[in-house]
Amino acid sequence: MTDGPLIVQSDKTLLLDIDHPLSTECRRAIAPFAELERSPEHIHTYRLTPLGLWNARAAGHDAEQVIDTLIKYSRYAVPHSILIDVAETMSRYGRLRLEADPVHGLILVTTDSAVLEEVIRAKKIQPLLGARIDKETIAVLPSQRGQIKQSLLRLGWPAEDFAGYVDGQAHEISLVQDDWKIRPYQELAAEGFWHGGSGVVVLPCGAGKTIVGAAAMAHAKATTLILVTNTVAARQWRDELLKRTTLNEDEIGEYSGAKKEIRPVTIATYQVMTKKKNGVYAHLDLFDSYDWGLIIYDEVHLLPAPIFRFTADIQSRRRLGLTATLVREDGMEGEVFSLIGPKRYDVPWKEIESQGYIAPAECIEVRVNLTENERLMYATAEVENRYRYCATTRTKRDVVEALVKKHQGEQILVIGQYIDQLDELSEVLGVPVIKGETPVKEREILFNKFRSGELTTLVVSKVANFSIDLPDATIAIQVSGAFGSRQEEAQRLGRILRPKSDGRTAKFYSVISRDTIDQDFAQNRQRFLAEQGYSYKIIDADDVFQGKI
Amino acid sequence: MRSFSDYLRSVDDDAFLKLFSARADLIIPVPPDIASLAVRACSAPSLARAIDSLNQWQFQVLEAAASLNEPFTEKNLVAITDKAASTALKHLIAIGLVYPSDDGMRLPTQLRDVIGNEPAGLGPASMAKIKIAEIDKAPPEAKKVLERLIWGPPRGSVGDIKNPGPGVAWLLEQKFLVPLDQRTVILPREVGIYLRGGKVHKERFIEQPTLSGSKRDERQINLAAIANISTVLRWVEELLNFWADEPADALRAGGLGVRDLKILATHLGVDESCTAFIVELAYLASLISIDAQDRIMPSNKFDIWLMQTPADRWQALASQWLITSRVSGLVGRAESKNVAALGPELDRVNAAKVRSLSLTILNENPSIAPTISSFNEVLAWRAPVRRNSSLQEELANWTLREAEWLGITGQGAISTYGREFLAGDSLGIINNDLPKTVDHILIQSDNTAIAPGPLEHEISQQLAMMAEIESRGGATVYRFSEATIRRALDHGKTGDEIKVFLTKTSKTPIPQPLEYLISDVSKKHGKLRVGNTSAFIRCEDSTLISQIMNDKRLEILALRRIAPEVVICDHDATDTMRILREAGYLPAGESATGIMLTGPRSNRALTKPRPPRVIGEIVIPTQDTMNSAIRTIRTGEKSTHKQTHLRQIANEALGALPRTSANETMDLVNKYIAEEKSLSIGYADNNGAVTHRIIDPIRVSAGALIARDHATGEVQSFRIPRITGVAPL
Repeated sequence: MTDGPLIVQSDKTLLLDIDHPLSTECRRAIAPFAELERSPEHIHTYRLTPLGLWNARAAGHDAEQVIDTLIKYSRYAVPHSILIDVAETMSRYGRLRLEADPVHGLILVTTDSAVLEEVIRAKKIQPLLGARIDKETIAVLPSQRGQIKQSLLRLGWPAEDFAGYVDGQAHEISLVQDDWKIRPYQELAAEGFWHGGSGVVVLPCGAGKTIVGAAAMAHAKATTLILVTNTVAARQWRDELLKRTTLNEDEIGEYSGAKKEIRPVTIATYQVMTKKKNGVYAHLDLFDSYDWGLIIYDEVHLLPAPIFRFTADIQSRRRLGLTATLVREDGMEGEVFSLIGPKRYDVPWKEIESQGYIAPAECIEVRVNLTENERLMYATAEVENRYRYCATTRTKRDVVEALVKKHQGEQILVIGQYIDQLDELSEVLGVPVIKGETPVKEREILFNKFRSGELTTLVVSKVANFSIDLPDATIAIQVSGAFGSRQEEAQRLGRILRPKSDGRTAKFYSVISRDTIDQDFAQNRQRFLAEQGYSYKIIDADDVFQGKI
Repeated sequence: MRSFSDYLRSVDDDAFLKLFSARADLIIPVPPDIASLAVRACSAPSLARAIDSLNQWQFQVLEAAASLNEPFTEKNLVAITDKAASTALKHLIAIGLVYPSDDGMRLPTQLRDVIGNEPAGLGPASMAKIKIAEIDKAPPEAKKVLERLIWGPPRGSVGDIKNPGPGVAWLLEQKFLVPLDQRTVILPREVGIYLRGGKVHKERFIEQPTLSGSKRDERQINLAAIANISTVLRWVEELLNFWADEPADALRAGGLGVRDLKILATHLGVDESCTAFIVELAYLASLISIDAQDRIMPSNKFDIWLMQTPADRWQALASQWLITSRVSGLVGRAESKNVAALGPELDRVNAAKVRSLSLTILNENPSIAPTISSFNEVLAWRAPVRRNSSLQEELANWTLREAEWLGITGQGAISTYGREFLAGDSLGIINNDLPKTVDHILIQSDNTAIAPGPLEHEISQQLAMMAEIESRGGATVYRFSEATIRRALDHGKTGDEIKVFLTKTSKTPIPQPLEYLISDVSKKHGKLRVGNTSAFIRCEDSTLISQIMNDKRLEILALRRIAPEVVICDHDATDTMRILREAGYLPAGESATGIMLTGPRSNRALTKPRPPRVIGEIVIPTQDTMNSAIRTIRTGEKSTHKQTHLRQIANEALGALPRTSANETMDLVNKYIAEEKSLSIGYADNNGAVTHRIIDPIRVSAGALIARDHATGEVQSFRIPRITGVAPL
């Protein structure tokens, strides 16, 4: 029995004792192949998944290394079945390779003809294949490069893609680092991506993913298509690119609901790409309108399903995915892996936080007691209206007011789900509200004011969840949310995690109605935030009113 | 010529010891004398059992012996096999498959029946004299025919024996082929052996193949094995605790349903075949009982088991597994869909034998984790012929899998614990080597608690009550949730007790959100109260209620006031009304409903556990039993001898029908079959009348003597039990 920091469980989770002297070393060793599932204060949980192991394979680690690492750091004997499983899973990656052949075009090559025999008999694979070349090689229809990767992954035989990329039309792009410097991890991320060819970079919100994108463009020096979630995000990308690179205004086009510009660097929204006219996607031509050398997907975890389909068709172009989390609420992680690429870079939030690039944050749950009358109303409400009722109670308003007052002078965001509640709060607090119907122009004006400090408090609806950049919010107050989904939480937290000039701790308040389903949802949230390693505290609304916090 | 029984009479006690330890069935029950022993030893089932125990080489030698004419010599045998046959022959003699007669080696009469008429694919001996050297001059067509027949089967069909092809015709003429019937010819044994180059077998498998596989480090093996041991103990405990909470229902046909098995598999976090194994393991060790209502739940033996040391607990499981005839591997196979764990269809006669052989092979090859193919090869050599052998490979492979689950092996190679277990040594070493239990947990703010090692029993029981297990292995991850805290409260804990327990057990302070959770749940818990009652008395006038509460005449009702206007009692409504009326009140009935919500917390079957019976196996007898068996036989032999002698004198005096005991009958019949002599027998007909027959015995088969009756001249079968006596003419 060694005394290592790692406990390998039979359900393929790895428990890392972070108070152990070897824990940092061990974390570095297991990070390439194990996915961090949660990181509360004492024991971090990692999980071995096929995708994680294949990601490691793609990064050049072999099964032996993985097994050695597990055995080296393990406190108890590693279950034999897990060792076998790791070796078995990892050996599946790379038995099939997609290659470019001068004669036959795209070919599927194997080192193990039995595997090839198995996969070519699969119903889903057959239509994608061309002529059999020899025992170990078969031609693949070039247009099906993405399809076949997807299908092979589903069969459990992920193919390594060596078929290469087109360079695309060259376009000079470099970083201009006059009054700023690229951070080491951003540079590593861009390099990791470039050497891998295509893939995903996982960085927490606020860690500067846009700059990783810009650095990748500087590597590619080619025309680039950037796909983002919405127009506000598109404008921010544009501003960042203007500021950080040699690109000028004429070289960057916006392709959205409002504008249809196609330039060497074009930023398009998911929304416009997935818009259908007479039942067909109207804007797909964009993918072919330039000989793109690089395609960047912002917020990969939100990538809509149709975009996957288009992506399957452009496998010969380099693809960079940027995201804060590989967890998709729809479970399409496998698609991201096969179509965009394996994970190329990843740093846990806490690590960047400790390097001082993002602010430390504290999560506080404020429990509000419902009045007798409200309790009765809640108890008798229809089940489907209950959440709305308890999430928007009158009492919450007072708590928000008190909190805003307490943090007067700091940059405060009040976030909510229900428009009438937000309108009401905006009125009571005397601050503007941004919601879905607010025109983009006005949004930008308000955001700019908030950024400059002219405006210290802003009430926002869930439009704020996605890719807006509010540099100096130190306080977020959440009054209602979409049932505590993990993704939303990551986004909201990201809003306030930008580095603060004075190193102050950011605070994330959630106002919760006690003894209602609001509280149940809060438990999901608590679990997620605690798993991410944030401190979590519960206080009573009375404490707020009495100024005890 | 000596018969087998004569031979047995001549051997010493050592030889008997050897014989009985190899063929335990011969002395269970102990036969009365040597004649009966000989009969039993020559019976087909016993011979088949003995042949089962041979390895491939020994069997080849036996086949070769069967292809020789009796009597034969060791030299004859070596000539058609290999020098190594001498050792094998000694073994065959020791276990009574070959015996030395005064004129040479002979086989027990029925042995040929058991191994078949064409041993090693050789035909019968030729009746005619043949010039074997002539065969080299055979024309090409004839050679072609011979090639087809060389390695057996030795029979070939021809269109018409009267009009054969040129090759066959030449062979028939030279007597190298013998016509069997209208359409079949057969290659005589001598010709076959000659063509095979003077040897009976193409390949002689003298040596056991070497077991190949990965070489493992002893330390790693034991580390892995001890992890397996602690895991299997945990599995069993969790399984039984699960059923203690909620017993499963047995299927009508017996056994555990597929759905229950799946639920269990998810609960334990293992696959279904492993789950079936664990369930069976607990069943074998009597830890599970199926009660009269067909509910499956822990027996009271479980509580005793829990109190034992890990080594004892493990031994209780492993020792039952070793000898059982039940095969959990059968559950859930595609071929046997409806075979259920705990069901009646899991017994396989050869299971324990294959299991023990598999473990022996592992034990003989320490540090080697064999590959399946190599293992199967060795197994096939060790046990080439087996009755019911269809499952042999699967049984062996299941054994390997199960041995790993049990920790008899670690990383596929036999562990120290496995070796000591098989040798019957003390297993105290397990207690020493198991990871030290930890007495603390770490609670984290995401409402999980982690036990960084195996927890002390008491703590793990407590914790299992108030938290759900999320991940298992060396460590255990527990998760607290509203439901689990509620469960602890239901089990009679208070919120404060939970907090105190956690504070005491946790190395880290209890996170504030968890404290909130516990107080939230305990605050709500029990706000609604539920109880049982038979009748209630309701009255809007609370003074009247007070009055009946204080009425001495109603004391028998044991009234309880649960609200100012409501009283309940345990008598039923009719009784309550009667008593109230007798006391002068004027009650009226009211319709009412009540819901029962309580039940026993942790169930134990009241019935005695009935572990599955072990079938099909005979334990190797101890030295003592064998010695006493020998004494019994020797004594019996003396007295039988005397009786026979007396009876003979009487018979001669009376000139009556011959009378012999059943065993003597068999003995004599076997003897005279070999000597081809005519016999006089007494035979009882359907009505019980005994007739005198003169017969030529041919062979004994299926409890009947096949013989030619001189009176009718026909071959007829005589049922042995009806033969009243045998005497030579």
